[in-house]
Amino acid sequence: MSLAIDKFGHEPSEHEAENASNSYLMSLVAVVAGLPLPIMNLVATLFFYIGNRKGSHFVRWHCTQALLSQASLLPVNSIGFWWTISIIFSNEQISSKYIAYLITIVLFNLFDFIATMIAAVQTRKGIHVEWWLYGSVTNLICRA
Amino acid sequence: MNKILLQFFITVAVFATIYFGLSQIDWIAVLKVKEASKKTEEKLGDFFWELFSKADEEIHDEKTVAIIDSLVNHLCEANSIDQTKIKIHILKNGEVNAFTLPNNYLVIYSGLIKSTENEAELLGVVGHELAHMEKGHVMKKLIKEIGLSALISMTAGGGGQTVKEALKLLSSSAYDRDLEREADITSVEYMIRARIDPEPFANFMYRLSDKEKNLPSQAYWISTHPDSKERAEYIINYIKGKTFIKKPLLTESQWKELKERVKN
Repeated sequence: MSLAIDKFGHEPSEHEAENASNSYLMSLVAVVAGLPLPIMNLVATLFFYIGNRKGSHFVRWHCTQALLSQASLLPVNSIGFWWTISIIFSNEQISSKYIAYLITIVLFNLFDFIATMIAAVQTRKGIHVEWWLYGSVTNLICRA
Repeated sequence: MNKILLQFFITVAVFATIYFGLSQIDWIAVLKVKEASKKTEEKLGDFFWELFSKADEEIHDEKTVAIIDSLVNHLCEANSIDQTKIKIHILKNGEVNAFTLPNNYLVIYSGLIKSTENEAELLGVVGHELAHMEKGHVMKKLIKEIGLSALISMTAGGGGQTVKEALKLLSSSAYDRDLEREADITSVEYMIRARIDPEPFANFMYRLSDKEKNLPSQAYWISTHPDSKERAEYIINYIKGKTFIKKPLLTESQWKELKERVKN
């Protein structure tokens, strides 16, 4: 997942930049608050997305990108969550495969977390940031 | 669109490669998971045994201990279970009960020996407890019901109420229905391999479930293992049509002697 800084169609206003940046902050706040269920980050970002459906293109574009990044983490994190639950409550044993999976999802979440922080800072400055994969998908579904 | 698909596949491939690479490492050995859990189990087992041994008098009579040891050893040998790790203790208590504690403690109450009519009935219950031990059900139950952190603090001398709860949980053998079924069937398999007739094990459950109405406090092993009739039935169904060699372990006089010694 790389971050590409592109020029957007127009120069976003101060208010637009703040709203776009907040869409990334929503998912960060949910992580920092230590919410245990992986769906919480997605829900937080989704609420913000719904709230800004009628915002400017710049705001909608970044809300969509933030939502996509959280949505893609959901299945990956959910597998880890339910795997852990089955170890605690059923006959499933801790295995090397389980630990390897946990490390992999921690790495992906960390990468996503850092990318989200950078995106939050850059969009706050009014700079348009397109992520690897999510940026392209967002361009496809979020038209001006 | 092609660009998106390409990026998607590359992302999935990166994820899969990292996972595959990491899963080649034996994390259980690297993180010493087994050693850490074994140490906790040892501490807990010793701690619980100390409490149980204080509550009831242990039977040290050489003949009784030798007979019980020989029966358990026979079951273990036939099923490649390392009998040297099992710490068998017979306690003087009227309850019809046997249970396992962490760190391979097998506790048998004299009430169980008294109420069984033959070695097969007794070994059915012992096999059931050995199955819980071998399949790691004991620690699983404790962690699930009490929580690992509470258990660890218990060995450090904390949590009086939790200790009581844990003792009740261990001696009541109230495992999940699935675990109970697994232990029952495993016990039957142990018995078949050891050339012991498993049918008396089912009969014993039938008998005690009937008695339970009159003797609720005595028939402890059965009253804490619900649906005993249903369990007796699936044991009977499991062995139906199977042929196996039955070979008595104790002579009639040895069995009588064991019961007599426990009574006294």
